[in-house]
Amino acid sequence: MAESNRHMRVEILRFDPDKDEVPKSQEYEIPVEEDWKVLDAINYIKDEVDPSVSHRWSCRMAVCGSCGMMVNGEPKLTCKTSLADYEGSIKIEPLANFPIVRDLVVDMDGFMDKFRKVKPWIVRAKERAEDMENLNEKGTYSQSPAELATFKQFSMCINCLLCYAACPVIANEPDFIGPAAIALGHRYNLDSRDEGDRGRNEIFRGEGTAFSCSFANECSEVCPKNVDPAAAVNQAKLGAVVDWAKGLILPREGA
Amino acid sequence: MKHLLLKLEPIIWLLFGAGLSIGTMLLTGFVIVVGLAIPMGLVDPSALAYPRAHALASSWLGRLVVLGLIALPLWKGAHHIRSLSVDFNGGDRDGAVGGLLYLAAGICSVLGIIAVAQL
Repeated sequence: MAESNRHMRVEILRFDPDKDEVPKSQEYEIPVEEDWKVLDAINYIKDEVDPSVSHRWSCRMAVCGSCGMMVNGEPKLTCKTSLADYEGSIKIEPLANFPIVRDLVVDMDGFMDKFRKVKPWIVRAKERAEDMENLNEKGTYSQSPAELATFKQFSMCINCLLCYAACPVIANEPDFIGPAAIALGHRYNLDSRDEGDRGRNEIFRGEGTAFSCSFANECSEVCPKNVDPAAAVNQAKLGAVVDWAKGLILPREGA
Repeated sequence: MKHLLLKLEPIIWLLFGAGLSIGTMLLTGFVIVVGLAIPMGLVDPSALAYPRAHALASSWLGRLVVLGLIALPLWKGAHHIRSLSVDFNGGDRDGAVGGLLYLAAGICSVLGIIAVAQL
């Protein structure tokens, strides 16, 4: 690699739970290449300057969703964010609204619990004879391209947590189920193979879920995969309210 | 009363959503007709002469539309202000600000029903 002329000051938030009471920031002056992403700069620091820096990363191509961090205060996928977009210095912190495990690594456990709440799998009301008829020779349910198109966008989430770091409601109410979880639940509600929408609508009508959203739209602003979780949340709200109104008028099977 | 607002959230959102839709669609149309089309001479001002407008507004459908135009945007405004106050002040979603705003929207909606009934 050719020696670069360009240098950059990189400020990284450091936190070691065994030693530190509060996080502190540490500065590194490093040479950078023109085509580097922010992640390359952090990897350079880890490999060449300070091996004690902890961060998560894997694929380097915006698929795995593990390198989300705050870059100059904004949630970014660091493998997708060019260093060239920043002048002189850059400040890297762990994702906002999450407990810090160490340095740039955050604790995802609470987020995983939220995901499970929306039943992110195909729910069938009951096993039926026609289920067997709809099964194709590969043992999966048939679905037309048009049926797939209704939810495909909402299934592109890579669980990078940027939307949780950007959400003003999460900042105030850490128990709010959050944009990605609602988008995922809504994705199954839209799926032609799924019959669990009544249960999920009930979850969406509950406290701390869809209706806690104040539609700041920040989740969709920062989403690196254009999932548009804010749209999913709004559609989920409408679906949950329509389902509630239907319940008032029509008697429900088994209710 | 605790968690009352949180339990009513879906109904409040329905009124908010209706207010938002009616606000963007009907009020925009209203502004275009009254603010642009009539001053520019595209529409004859006599179309909105009082007896004609009164007859339109006091029909059953007219009363319903006028009530919707009065009441629903109030809920939209109340919900917006509550959400802003929660987002910016870190306030309590179940707190007094929201309660007072919705109470005001509710009282004004009742006044709207009375006004529309007397048309």
